[in-house]
Formats: sequence, C-alpha cells, structure tokens
Amino acid sequence: MSTYGRAAEESAFVRTYTVTRGRTKPRHLLALETVLEAGQGRPGPAQAEECEEILALCRERRRSVVELAGRLGRPVTAVKILVSDLLDADALVVPLTHPYADTGAGSGPSVQLLAAVTAGLKRKWPDAVAYCQAG
Amino acid sequence: MPLPTARPDDPAAVLHSSPPPRAGAPTVLKIVIAGGFGAGKTTAVGAVSEITPLSTEEYLTEASADVDSLAGIEAKVTTTVAFDFGRLSLPDAPMPLELFLFGTPGEDRFVDLWYDLSRGAVGAVVLVDTRRLESSFTPVSFFEDIGLPFVVAVNQFDGAHRYHPEQVRAALELPAAVPVVTCDARDTNHVAGVLLALVDHAVNSVATINRAGHAPSTTFQDA
Repeated sequence: MSTYGRAAEESAFVRTYTVTRGRTKPRHLLALETVLEAGQGRPGPAQAEECEEILALCRERRRSVVELAGRLGRPVTAVKILVSDLLDADALVVPLTHPYADTGAGSGPSVQLLAAVTAGLKRKWPDAVAYCQAG
Repeated sequence: MPLPTARPDDPAAVLHSSPPPRAGAPTVLKIVIAGGFGAGKTTAVGAVSEITPLSTEEYLTEASADVDSLAGIEAKVTTTVAFDFGRLSLPDAPMPLELFLFGTPGEDRFVDLWYDLSRGAVGAVVLVDTRRLESSFTPVSFFEDIGLPFVVAVNQFDGAHRYHPEQVRAALELPAAVPVVTCDARDTNHVAGVLLALVDHAVNSVATINRAGHAPSTTFQDA
C-alpha cells in the first residue's frame, strides 16, 4: 500500500474510534447476524449521534448488527460497541428467536430447519430453476 | 378512552397494548456467497435480497510478523475488509425465517471473516467466473477444510466461453458430491435455484454425517 493509502486508512481508523470514544472492544458478545429491536430504555446523554441513528433504524423494524454497520457506513466493530451501550441502557434489546432456532453450538442448521428453508424458497419463487435431480 | 395508551410504568398496560403476541423474531440463517473480483457476488445477492445490497466494512487486526516484541508493545496491522450484505424473508415457510446473504471476495486475507460468516451457516455458494477460475481456489479449499457444505455456481457472462460444469469440476478438482451449476447471477429465478441447490446439498451433507455416526441398524430410520 502506498504511504498515502496507509495514512488515509489510519486516519479513517482514528475517526472511527473517536465515535466509540477510544474503545476498541464491545462489551457484549454480538455476532454479525445478531438481531436487535428497540427497547423501552433511553440512551444516556452525550452518546454519539450514531446511537440515535441506530435507534431510529431499529424502531422501524428489527435490524441486525451487520445491516446497521452497512447503513451507518461504519465498521462492524464500532457498531457493536455502540450497540453494547444501547443494550446496557435497555434502549435496544435482543428479541427472543423462534424456539426452532436451536441448532446446537458450532454446528449447522438441523434438517428440519433446512426443509423449512426449501419450502419457503419454493413458495417465494415457484419458478426457481430446478437444478437438483433427486438425490 | 376505549384504548388506553401504554405506560412504561404499568406492565399490564404494556402487555395489553403490545402488538399481537409474537412467537419471537424470525429464525435467521446465513448463506455465504464467495467469489473473485467481478464474479457477480453483489449482483447475485441483489437478485434475491429485499434490500439493496449494503457494503459493510470490518477491521481485521493481525499481529505483525516482522516486528521485535520489545517492552510488551504489540505491533499489529489493521486492514479493512469489505463485504456485501443482503436479506430476504420467507413468510410462507412453516416457521418465520429470514436468510442473510453475505457476499465476500475470494482472497485469502478474508479468511478470518469467512470463519465468522461460516459459523452456523447453511452453507456457501462459490460464484465462478470461468475467465478467472484461479480466484475460486481459495474459497473452495477453505469451505472444504472447515466442512461447510458448498455449491459451485458458474456465472455465465454474456460473450464468455461456456464451459461444461464437468470441465469446471475437473479444473477445480471438486469431489463428486459438490454440485456444480450454471446460472445468470442477474436472474432472480436462477439465484433462487442456486440457493435451493445449496440447501438440498446441505441436507444431504447432514444426512451423510448422521449416517456415518450411527450404528448400521439405525441407518434407514429417517429415510
């Protein structure tokens, strides 16, 4: 990378961590796909303006960490740090997922869950190309 | 007032005024779409996503290899990786489901991100541009190594030479069990078909693992 490119990247990095007030690690264990919804609490004063944006987005519908990062144009880690603040203030909550989601740690989805995906995809796109010849 | 407004200090009022009882948020399932630069990942994500694909950034921090460890100062190199995100809901599935699609470049500096994306995922689609076949090697061997079910989808670009899927299979040295399909990444029904092929393959992979782990007498129980 050129000296300029490196400097530009570092500058973006510094700006990002101004938003999180220097913190580089989120307090909560959040995955990219963790879904959040607005809660009853209010964020404390002196929060980054990005927190208001996050809350506004989550009031519209449930949003995942990855979607919030994409919409805010901020790196995922920075968004996780802000989301952690909002979770602590109960301004965001992690909704309960359908009990069927129980897939066991570290492994992939169950056959039942996969069958539900197949059924859902076929109903959504009845004209989907059929690539699979039985088996 | 016929409909009392909810007051946060009154739990009963909150309960009654809440929207119809929710069975919980939809179950989220992840699918990774990996491919080289220009292979059509964003196009494929956009073909089935309900939102315009979002470009998302993450910092990856790695220990720098060529630095003396003096005075406990950890020298680290931070690089930025970008990937695409799209989502779609399956309202007519037997239970509320949402699919998250992650489009990621095929370079090996993305490997840390792939681990994150692959954890608990349905599987991966390796999107191939036959003019740059070599950019598919890294994702193919990664998904093979971690045992994530994947399919190879050859994106048929206008004007590009059409290879037979079996030629692509041979060139990528893919096992017979890995499906190789051809598609037009711009076409919703094609991409939906690729996702169906992946889910089908994932079911077969689970079945294979189960069979391998069971006594012979139980082999046919869930056939």
